[in-house]
Amino acid sequence: MAKQKQASLITVRDLRRTFKLGNTLVRAVDGLDLDVIDGEFLCLMGPSGSGKTTLLNMIGGLDRPTDGQIRVNGQTITTLDENALAVYRRQQVGFVFQSFNLIATMTALDNVKFPMIFAGISEAERDERARDLLEQVGLGHRLHHKPTELSGGEQQRVSLARSMVNRPRILLGDEPTGNLDSRTGIEILEIFQRLNNQGHTIIVVTHDPRVSNYATRTVHMLDGQIVADNAAPI
Amino acid sequence: MKARDLLKLVWANLNRMRGRVVMTGMGVLIGTAAIIVLIALATGVQQSITGDLSAYGALNQILVFPGAYFQAFGGGSIGEDAVLTPQKLIELGRIDGVVAVTPYEQLYGEKTLRYNRLVGSSSLVGIDPRAVRDMGLEVEQGSDRLNRETVLIGARVAENFADPRRRRASSEDPPNLLGQTLTVEMRRTFSEEDREVRTIRLLVGGVLKERGGQDDSSIFLALDTLEDLNAWSSGQRIDRRTEGYSQAILIVNDPKRMRQIETSLMIDEGFLAYSARTSLDMLNTIFAVLQAVVGGIGAIALIVAAIGIANTMVMSILERTREIGLMKAVGATNRDVMSVFIGEAGAIGILGGIGGVVFGIGAAKVIDMVAMAYVNADLARSGATGGSGIDSIAVIPLWLPLFAVAFALVIGLASGIYPALRAVQLNPVTALKYE
Repeated sequence: MAKQKQASLITVRDLRRTFKLGNTLVRAVDGLDLDVIDGEFLCLMGPSGSGKTTLLNMIGGLDRPTDGQIRVNGQTITTLDENALAVYRRQQVGFVFQSFNLIATMTALDNVKFPMIFAGISEAERDERARDLLEQVGLGHRLHHKPTELSGGEQQRVSLARSMVNRPRILLGDEPTGNLDSRTGIEILEIFQRLNNQGHTIIVVTHDPRVSNYATRTVHMLDGQIVADNAAPI
Repeated sequence: MKARDLLKLVWANLNRMRGRVVMTGMGVLIGTAAIIVLIALATGVQQSITGDLSAYGALNQILVFPGAYFQAFGGGSIGEDAVLTPQKLIELGRIDGVVAVTPYEQLYGEKTLRYNRLVGSSSLVGIDPRAVRDMGLEVEQGSDRLNRETVLIGARVAENFADPRRRRASSEDPPNLLGQTLTVEMRRTFSEEDREVRTIRLLVGGVLKERGGQDDSSIFLALDTLEDLNAWSSGQRIDRRTEGYSQAILIVNDPKRMRQIETSLMIDEGFLAYSARTSLDMLNTIFAVLQAVVGGIGAIALIVAAIGIANTMVMSILERTREIGLMKAVGATNRDVMSVFIGEAGAIGILGGIGGVVFGIGAAKVIDMVAMAYVNADLARSGATGGSGIDSIAVIPLWLPLFAVAFALVIGLASGIYPALRAVQLNPVTALKYE
């Protein structure tokens, strides 16, 4: 297949993640292999508890596997120390969450600028990048509104802009349309598609079957393993 | 993260929980103010007491009394042989570090000191004329020479003259006595019928500079003159070669040797010795301990405030769990997270500390004003004139506000450590889903 000839950006090998729930051991991810090629828009589907969010968190460096390996862009992230992992999250990935996770007391502009503080970017540069990105997601007129003054779709667009500020190669979405009505959900997916067309590799975890219409590849998970992998032609 | 961004972030975070920050900061404010007020009071009391003490003698003098005086303090027969004979004084004068030695005798007996119609209340003392300069007695006006004809008067002697028939207004200038003649009317009584009065004249040859203490209210005569007067008054001349003087003053130029000489005088020689310097040193040690104790009481208040800060920060971290998760997700390092929360705690500490310093200084000033009003009213009632030596009951040394703010900052930072560690240890995945 075409995808195997290309170098993969993300390589997951024999990944395992177990949780202890009371006395029972839950195998959230159970010996999983996955290759994600640079420029893919991967839609990760499956029922609740299938392990898709756990996989996403481990690829994003938010969670550590019990066993196995993840390589991203040539770097093995599963062995990084806390500090290096923070740098990885800052430089390589951007997160978009179902519940937006915007800071309620900050304006849209400040929310987008927030991650750049930790990257040590100057105030002038922060301001410029944040305004530019908010403009790109169509919120140029809502810079100084707080999250409570924005609709769900607008909040998710702020969150998308925020995920982009450190210019990551990879965007990770955890149910990004889950809290939105169908029309605004589609708006968000269109932005994801546009970013994918600009060269970002995107992985979206979702229950929403419409997402696969925008993705280049859809992977189905069940019980911590991949059960179907339908790559649409790139 | 840049330091400037950290400060801005800390400030913004404090601003959005302003109510709680103010309340928590109040705890720090009260603790810091308590430290300021308590130490200011301890310092003020120390200064007024030690200031008073130096009035009992210049700091380079050791007062020496015959060993027999020990008996007055329940010393039994200790020091019976320690007599201040002229020969002994010469020996004492040879002790290493002793610059000069002089007998110090007072005029006894019934007497009245007069200048024209005014009556004086100063004491008359006799010293060795050669010791005037070494005793540190400097003249403001006139000459410091002391001989059979002339006397030196202390700076406040003139003030102590008053007209017995009318009360002199305090605003009235005291007479200038330089070159004037004072008279001393002495009386001796042999029996009911047999009384004798003798009037002697004293020419004021010099007025001494004010130095604080009893020397300011003393009239200094040449020792021989005074001895003659005492002999007349008591009807017999004391043989100093056997009886010794009743007091001597040793002038020591090296403050560090003072204590050693003083101890040696008592232990080796059997004299009773006293110096303002040694008492001052001891008192200062006691007050250092007192300051530490009262400062410690204030510090307890600050430590309680620190628990308040820690509590506020823990609450804040609970409320901001998702935000901490987000910080981690967007690439904040553990160090960044620590910095933010310790920074917030430290900022509460320093803000409370600055407020406490301002409030504490204000409170100390108010206490000072009220206390001084009492002291002055008391002095006025007792009819004392001139300064009491106490200007202030609450004194704030320069180091105190700086120390207090620094202490509040350290307390704040320290109280942030535990909450910050909790924040760092949050799992980002669960933190982001925290409801």
